[in-house]
Amino acid sequence: MHKTPQEVLFTNARILDGSGQMPYSGSVRVRGNRIVQINRSIGSVSAGDAVVIDAAGSTLMPGMTEAHTHFSWNDSSSLAGIQTMPLEEHVLWSAKVAHRYLKAGFTSCLGAACAKPRLDVVIRNAIESGQIPGPRYLAASQEITVPGGLGDEMLPHLPFPDFSFGVVVNGSEDLRRVTRNFLKYGVDHIKLNLSGDNFVPGADAKTTWMTDAEVAACAEEVRMRGKRIIVHARSCASVKQALRHGVRLIYHASFTDTEALDMLDAVKHEVFIAPGIGILYALLNESEPWGIDRAKAIAMGYEEEWEAACQSLKAMHRRGIRVLPGGDYGFAFNPHLQNARDLEFFVKYLGFTPMEAIKSCTLHGGAIMMRQNELGLIKESFLADLLLIDGDPLAALSILRDPERILAVMKDGVFAKMPPIDQARTWGRAA
Amino acid sequence: MADILFTNVRVFDGGGETPFTGEVLVQGNRIARVTQSSPGARSQLVFGAKVVDGAGAFLMPGMIEAHTHFSWNDQPNLESIQRMPPEEHILWCAQVAEKYLDMGWTSCVGAATAKPRLDVVIRNAINDGTIKGPRYLAASQEITVPGGLGDTTAPHLPQPEFAFGAIVSGSEEMRRCVRMFCKYGVDSLKINLSGESITGMSSEMSQFTEEEIAVCVQEAKSWGKRVAAHARSTWAIKQCVKHGIEVIYHASFADEEALDLLEANKFDHFIAPGLAWLINTCHHASAWGLTPEVVNRMGYPRELEAAIESMRAMRRRGIRILPGGDYGFAWTPHGTNARDLEYFVSQVGMSPMEALLSATAWGGPMMKMGKQLGYIREGCLADILLIDGDPLVDITVLQKKERILAVMKDGEFHRAPPIRDLRTTRWAA
Repeated sequence: MHKTPQEVLFTNARILDGSGQMPYSGSVRVRGNRIVQINRSIGSVSAGDAVVIDAAGSTLMPGMTEAHTHFSWNDSSSLAGIQTMPLEEHVLWSAKVAHRYLKAGFTSCLGAACAKPRLDVVIRNAIESGQIPGPRYLAASQEITVPGGLGDEMLPHLPFPDFSFGVVVNGSEDLRRVTRNFLKYGVDHIKLNLSGDNFVPGADAKTTWMTDAEVAACAEEVRMRGKRIIVHARSCASVKQALRHGVRLIYHASFTDTEALDMLDAVKHEVFIAPGIGILYALLNESEPWGIDRAKAIAMGYEEEWEAACQSLKAMHRRGIRVLPGGDYGFAFNPHLQNARDLEFFVKYLGFTPMEAIKSCTLHGGAIMMRQNELGLIKESFLADLLLIDGDPLAALSILRDPERILAVMKDGVFAKMPPIDQARTWGRAA
Repeated sequence: MADILFTNVRVFDGGGETPFTGEVLVQGNRIARVTQSSPGARSQLVFGAKVVDGAGAFLMPGMIEAHTHFSWNDQPNLESIQRMPPEEHILWCAQVAEKYLDMGWTSCVGAATAKPRLDVVIRNAINDGTIKGPRYLAASQEITVPGGLGDTTAPHLPQPEFAFGAIVSGSEEMRRCVRMFCKYGVDSLKINLSGESITGMSSEMSQFTEEEIAVCVQEAKSWGKRVAAHARSTWAIKQCVKHGIEVIYHASFADEEALDLLEANKFDHFIAPGLAWLINTCHHASAWGLTPEVVNRMGYPRELEAAIESMRAMRRRGIRILPGGDYGFAWTPHGTNARDLEYFVSQVGMSPMEALLSATAWGGPMMKMGKQLGYIREGCLADILLIDGDPLVDITVLQKKERILAVMKDGEFHRAPPIRDLRTTRWAA
């Protein structure tokens, strides 16, 4: 990691502060890990001891938050391909992905499930201790599922749990034990697979798999320990089930009806939806090289789900329910680091304005990370998670996934990616 | 990858000659040209090459560590190594690998790993660019017998996961164990032939039957693997020569017969004594309960004396002695490895030149890379250090990170030389 001076002054920047207000020109001073001063003026500012970064008119915005991250998904085309990676390689892979996310501008990520029990926890701890570079991270459990559901990758003749991507439980006491075990490992939240998924034969997206008793057992344990539950919930029944049990982080939510929308509306200041729109789009439109052409994708149910999801999410957005980016990146057909594509999809298919899309990964990002009073905005006293972008994301959101346009990334006051130096000299002197 | 021309450097080329002032051109991952220049001569610029003005710095081959344990975790005992979970352990190894490269060790020979696949995974991750680290040869766990060095199971907790080594008994178990590590992809098998006083089994004691040793070596060789032995006792040293075990670690108690055997076969073996462990256990481990009384009882001062005697004798006989000292314990932390070179000078009687050669010229064959490594010569691999100071005058400069100005491995700067920066303003865009 680069050594960053104590104080950094970004001058001549176009400040997109993440709150929804239009960008303005000015300067931002960072001291330690906090934003200490914002000047809404292009007039000169005394630099003092600060290292001055002349932004030359580029955009300074808050670091982005990814609301549905799987560091341990290994860009494989199948769930089995993730699971056959040995533990040691899997840790190093996850570490590498974490670093890449940070350099790509995601200064916060919310783990949405890991492929082996401790991967997320270990990566979070290694980031926090400074051992590896990575975003702020909330660690998830494995996906908890039931026999035959999404995440049960055991074959009938190989019924060994180690083959399974998720943890397969049966019955509320089993779920309670598994939940306690993950809490012992130190996760920030427990992941439950409430619905099926079109990717899994025999367990499509409209199916719902867990009993209320099972979900209740998990919810009780998690509440006692002050943690959260996150759910894979594509079906309408699973969305309602999640809300009934007090779950406030819902992934996918493709299929809804008026009752489900009303239930969401009633808790809209608490609930977060991360639809994972990226993977639906990729499976329907871009997965032919991996054997899923359009006809097959339609047969798997992806066209129906895409249409339903667009309807559901548009309705949620109209009602002011927070919808966040994070799209199950980490498959061959939906590889890591395309994540900012979600923002473009929000605008193109869900009726967001570009500013609303930005807010979904800044203002709402701070909230989903449970740090809304200090994270997600360019605001005095907030944590210095900042991106310097060459261009105007409001005019072209796609620049947020172009490494060359992300000039600098700062997390917690430290540069994860240094702004390029306009280099006059081509040779260096040692000593 | 830009070509690099080092100008104005004092070149130590690994051949044993006095350094000369000159220039070194790196193209791709190889040293393309080495020239000696006369005072005041203008450097010959090369089109497209980035020039690094060494300002008189000492340029030498990257160093080779002959006895490396990335997975030892700077703790005071073997149990603490074993209690680290595999996920944390692999991240630790990755961090240590980078530290070695930072400190100028561009090649390391794994001497044993604490869990079965750690070394193999780290080697592969270095080679595919996932992590930063030296060139690396991956070792197996230490293969030992019940009750021997590496058996850290307790009578009431006999699960093999508690053991630091792989415990075998009988030649067929040995064969199965060697095959398993070969399947995992190790470069070498590590066998513990002698005891180790701190574990309760004296360093002068030996373990394994000749039959077990023979099976280990035979099976390893049929897979094309190297065998390395923990061999402190006289018997163990002789077994290494007898069975053709190429790498002999420690070799503290070498009697005349052992010395004669080694001398007669001196190009078939490498000795890495790991003096740092003995010296620091004897003198710098009181804080961890190893007071002078305790180490006396264990017998370490006597072993240290014997080891120094043995190394002096081996040096006189021209047997290759290489640095690498069991770093990775609380009192021998990772990154301080260049102390071995200091010990070679102060204890074994080597000249600084000999000590430098032990870490460079002899490292190539130790890495199984012949003369491609360890030299600053045309056609050699570009593993290069730039040192502020002259190790031939003061060998301890190699212990200080700030004196190692730059580290290049395989033609790429791991640490580029610091650039004098006059400007504090950076321009984005």
